[in-house]
Amino acid sequence: MIACHGIGKSYGHFQVLHDVNLTVAEGECFALLGPNGAGKTTLLKILATLERPSTGHYEILGMHGLKDKDAIRANLMFLAHGTHLYDELNAKENLAFALALRGQHPTDLEVKQALDRVAIGAFTDMKVRYYSAGMKKRLALAKAMLAKPKILLLDEPFTALDTAGTDILREYVRERLSENGTVLLSTHDYDKTRPIAGRAGILRHGALEEIAVEALMSDDLV
Amino acid sequence: MTIHRVIRKVQRFQGWFGSGAALCLGAGLYLGLIGSPADYYQGEVVRIMYIHVPLAHTSLIGYTVLALGSLWYLWKRDPIVDNMCQAVAALSAVFTALALGTGMIWGKPTWDTWWTWDARLTSFTVLLLILVGYLMLRTFVDDPEKEARYGAILAIVGFVDLPIIHFSVEWWRTLHQPQSISMRGVSISSGLLVPLVFMSIGMSLLFSYMLMVRTQLLYLDRLLHAKKGRLLSQFHLSKSDS
Amino acid sequence: MTSFNVIRWIVWKDFVTELRSRETISSMVFFALIVILIFSFSFSMDQQAAREVIAGIMWVAFAFTGIIGLGKSFSSELQNDCLEALQMVPEAKGAIYLGKVAANFAFMFLVEILLFPMFVILFNLEVVEGISILLLIFFLATLGLSAIGTLFSALTVQIRAREVMLPILLLPLVVPVMIAAVEATKGALNGDPLAMYEQWLKLLAVYDVVFTVVSFWMFEFVMDS
Repeated sequence: MIACHGIGKSYGHFQVLHDVNLTVAEGECFALLGPNGAGKTTLLKILATLERPSTGHYEILGMHGLKDKDAIRANLMFLAHGTHLYDELNAKENLAFALALRGQHPTDLEVKQALDRVAIGAFTDMKVRYYSAGMKKRLALAKAMLAKPKILLLDEPFTALDTAGTDILREYVRERLSENGTVLLSTHDYDKTRPIAGRAGILRHGALEEIAVEALMSDDLV
Repeated sequence: MTIHRVIRKVQRFQGWFGSGAALCLGAGLYLGLIGSPADYYQGEVVRIMYIHVPLAHTSLIGYTVLALGSLWYLWKRDPIVDNMCQAVAALSAVFTALALGTGMIWGKPTWDTWWTWDARLTSFTVLLLILVGYLMLRTFVDDPEKEARYGAILAIVGFVDLPIIHFSVEWWRTLHQPQSISMRGVSISSGLLVPLVFMSIGMSLLFSYMLMVRTQLLYLDRLLHAKKGRLLSQFHLSKSDS
Repeated sequence: MTSFNVIRWIVWKDFVTELRSRETISSMVFFALIVILIFSFSFSMDQQAAREVIAGIMWVAFAFTGIIGLGKSFSSELQNDCLEALQMVPEAKGAIYLGKVAANFAFMFLVEILLFPMFVILFNLEVVEGISILLLIFFLATLGLSAIGTLFSALTVQIRAREVMLPILLLPLVVPVMIAAVEATKGALNGDPLAMYEQWLKLLAVYDVVFTVVSFWMFEFVMDS
């Protein structure tokens, strides 16, 4: 469960978020839309405990976002623009490192299954430096699969993913939802989002207004 | 809302600080420049001490306030405390620079050189570098929350470091410099002490007065920016609706 | 236990990355060699002059190369925004700090060990007797530099002009380390009795303890909003 109450964020003169109120229930997927610079990433970063809101507060799984940050982090996965992967490490090492920092130690079999599921099982011993952008996205997705978070935050998840990758991602989101996870994603790609989003809203000049998911088709929406 | 109460209170009292500073500094300057005898050893030159020593004291007090305010900020995250820190850092930097400048002017006739690697001069130079670094750091951060947090961290680390810096520099000097130029042991007669006390109190009051005014200024500036941001976003909202 | 694991994994990651890319240590070593070269030109040193200033030159070279290594320590976390993942570790951030300090210390110490024979050969130093005490000085001073340097590497990595701000903020704060390291090294190279420069070793030890504790505590606030 994610609940934002009046979240605002300003950088000096520039107010990115104004007054965002949003509740996403368990088993629900919310799609954040909005033009470039609307503050989608900023909102996701705040919810991922990476930045402190200038005003307002939020709760995740009933835990206060400014006080119980470590407890929230243990239950949350943020797939950001950057993939949080180390170029000099190979796929297996990257997964082992990232999950070990979260206190999780997946078995070799689990790692192999996750890598096969995102269809990069053939490149597990290759340095991530030589990966394409789409492969990196897939590896990051494998990380989320192994972490099994209750809260999944996705920032532009479809960028750089091909059709097959998009299907894998959507299938994974459905799996999280069926296990009562909460998913919040930001996107520009309505066609790819429509099948999984339960609700949607547009961030415009720092405020959020909810819209019907069925409306996620017209190009002049934002 | 408590912030507004604090500010109202400060506004009521700051006048007293200002007038107190004027009185003390006036009396101190009169006693120091006219009403007191010249020093037996140093002659008229000693009178710069009435400026130099209070400046140095006050800047050290200022840095202590900065460190305490930074601790407070990291603990409670009161924005106005951060405004206070920013104000006190700038004032301390100015006072430290003035103390160094007057120290050099004093050093020319006394030691016959503008600059010597005296322990206290060196420590104050490092202090000035830390304060200038603090102010530079603050200008290089985009997010005001981060700016305040990083500044506080630097201020606290620097505060812990200052005594160690001072000790190391002093040990270093005793190895490399004959004791004769050391300022230690200049005994201060009571005739010199009275104006010095007046000047010290006056300088601290002046510092506090400037700090109060500057803190309010920075706080209002922050409010203004916030309001501007809100109005701008409302303006954009209303434009996009129509 | 988990915190210890975090320390271990951070050290492992930094070592593996360095072994594969060889970016940090090689750039540190070559930069230091250039610094030594420049110094010997600018002081047009003969053996006699070298004895006077060698300790100072050595530590200026070590500090500058150390800053290169420290800067890379966290700027390397910017690739693919890995720093965000570190910030989201659901543990006390002190474990990350200790892991980074261990890795930075190891790199700096290794570079110093590699460079020291250069100094010995180029400036014809006699070090056979003082070698163990020199190693102790290197150890203590490098620990001090990396303890506080790691904190400021993390602090400056997210601001504008970070390459400039790291030395600007760090060098005034490490004045005691520099003074103590230079004085102690001078004593050890001259073959003075230990009692003459023992105080500097104590100062270094105190500095190490104080700033490991303070930086460990402050690191929490650097990483966590």
